[in-house]
Amino acid sequence: MIQIEQLGKTFQTARGTSHTAIRDISLEVPAGQFVSILGPSGCGKSTLLYMVGGFEQASSGRILVNGREVRDPGPDRGPVFQEYALFPWKTVLGNVAYGLREQGVARSEAEARAMRWLEKVKLKDYAHFYPRELSGGMRQRAAIARTLAYEPKILLMDEPFGALDAHTRLTLQAELLSLWEQLQNTVLFVTHSVDEAVYLSDRVVVLTGTPGTVREIVDIDLPRPRVRADLLRSSAYQEYIIQLEKLLVASEAHA
Amino acid sequence: MKGAWYERPAVVMLMVVVLIGAVWSALSSALGFSSFPSPLAALRELPHLLLDPAALWAIAQSLGRMFVGYAWGLVFAIPIGLAMGRSRSVHDFLFPLVSLIYPMPKAALMPILMLWFGLGSFSKIFVIAMGVSLPMLYHSCLGASRIEGKLVWAAQAMGMGPVARLFRVVLPAALPEILIGCRVGVVMALIVMVSSEMIARQEGVGNLLFTSMDMAQYSSVYAVILVLAVMGVALDWVFERVRRHLTRWSESAVERKLY
Repeated sequence: MIQIEQLGKTFQTARGTSHTAIRDISLEVPAGQFVSILGPSGCGKSTLLYMVGGFEQASSGRILVNGREVRDPGPDRGPVFQEYALFPWKTVLGNVAYGLREQGVARSEAEARAMRWLEKVKLKDYAHFYPRELSGGMRQRAAIARTLAYEPKILLMDEPFGALDAHTRLTLQAELLSLWEQLQNTVLFVTHSVDEAVYLSDRVVVLTGTPGTVREIVDIDLPRPRVRADLLRSSAYQEYIIQLEKLLVASEAHA
Repeated sequence: MKGAWYERPAVVMLMVVVLIGAVWSALSSALGFSSFPSPLAALRELPHLLLDPAALWAIAQSLGRMFVGYAWGLVFAIPIGLAMGRSRSVHDFLFPLVSLIYPMPKAALMPILMLWFGLGSFSKIFVIAMGVSLPMLYHSCLGASRIEGKLVWAAQAMGMGPVARLFRVVLPAALPEILIGCRVGVVMALIVMVSSEMIARQEGVGNLLFTSMDMAQYSSVYAVILVLAVMGVALDWVFERVRRHLTRWSESAVERKLY
């Protein structure tokens, strides 16, 4: 359960002026829900995610995770970044085992568990490759496995598929969905893609421009497990897409 | 990339050596200075030098001090450089001191160090450590400040504390840049090693050089210079192998093949 209460963030710019990125955001994410944060670029949606992660400090308001105020990063909240941020000096296996090793799991046990995660993300044959030897899609699979391996209750995904080509993107969306349907983590997923948000989420939070604040929260009431090919034909899915696109266009005009 | 035989690095190297030898030889016979013997005279002196236990001992001592000084540099300069690259306050606190020491010729400190610590190995090791430290520190700082910030976040999310992050995330991520500083350090170590021994003349290669000079044994002087040059090339070659092995994971490892 994540509770975001009247959250605000103001940066000091290099010129000494202050810039408000986020203003008065309140939001509740129940455990096990998949929530997307959708907004135009520059609306502070990544900043919001980084604050939930504890990587950046709030200027006002607060964030509670299971009733405890967030001050620092912690293994209960696992980030997945658009830039993958894999440790380049470690092999794929070394990366995925890293979090477990950090929590004091013995090497052989950590590697065995890492191997099982690599199987789940279909990277078993690439365990001994270095990140630079992999394609973007494979790198992001490895990064997702690295985060899932230390079993965070909450996944914080910052436009994880934003740098991938359209085809790889669709594949990874489907894979993430089927993994999530097994694991039932709480997911906070930042994206600027409307169909990605609708396809994946239980709820979509639309942010308006600068400074970012909640414009509307839309519940996505589509049955699971979801298959994209079926969704494309469903009028409910199409309605959601149209509704969210209108909201996005309106919030862009607002910015 | 297989080129013609004359494009091979070893062949090119050999040709350059022969060319330098030829120019040297021509100049020496044209000028006829007693202080500028031919390369053959210097080469003839080499076996005497390399079979003389005292000379070998001098070389061994010099190398020993150089390695100890280099190791001290590694131990102190890299962590300080990394901390400077990651923390604004550490950087602002140490930067004035570092920028004062960086351009100063380290050998200029020798007289004071000799006064404080005597003529023995300690003052020489100290000055070598100072000489190698600054390029190491500078490149460690640069490398640490340029690493992808999200690597650090990813480690933080795993619950890694600040000191562990410095050694287990920042250090390996900045390693390619750190090793550039370390390579400059190898050359600095050689330079400072010889110059420290020329000032505090008691033992070592630098002393050997100046003693031969005093006795007007110019062929020996050139033989010692040859030995120093070969040592420099050999050390740099070994270092480059080590560097390439340690950064084989890096994107830039492929581009940076210099030879």
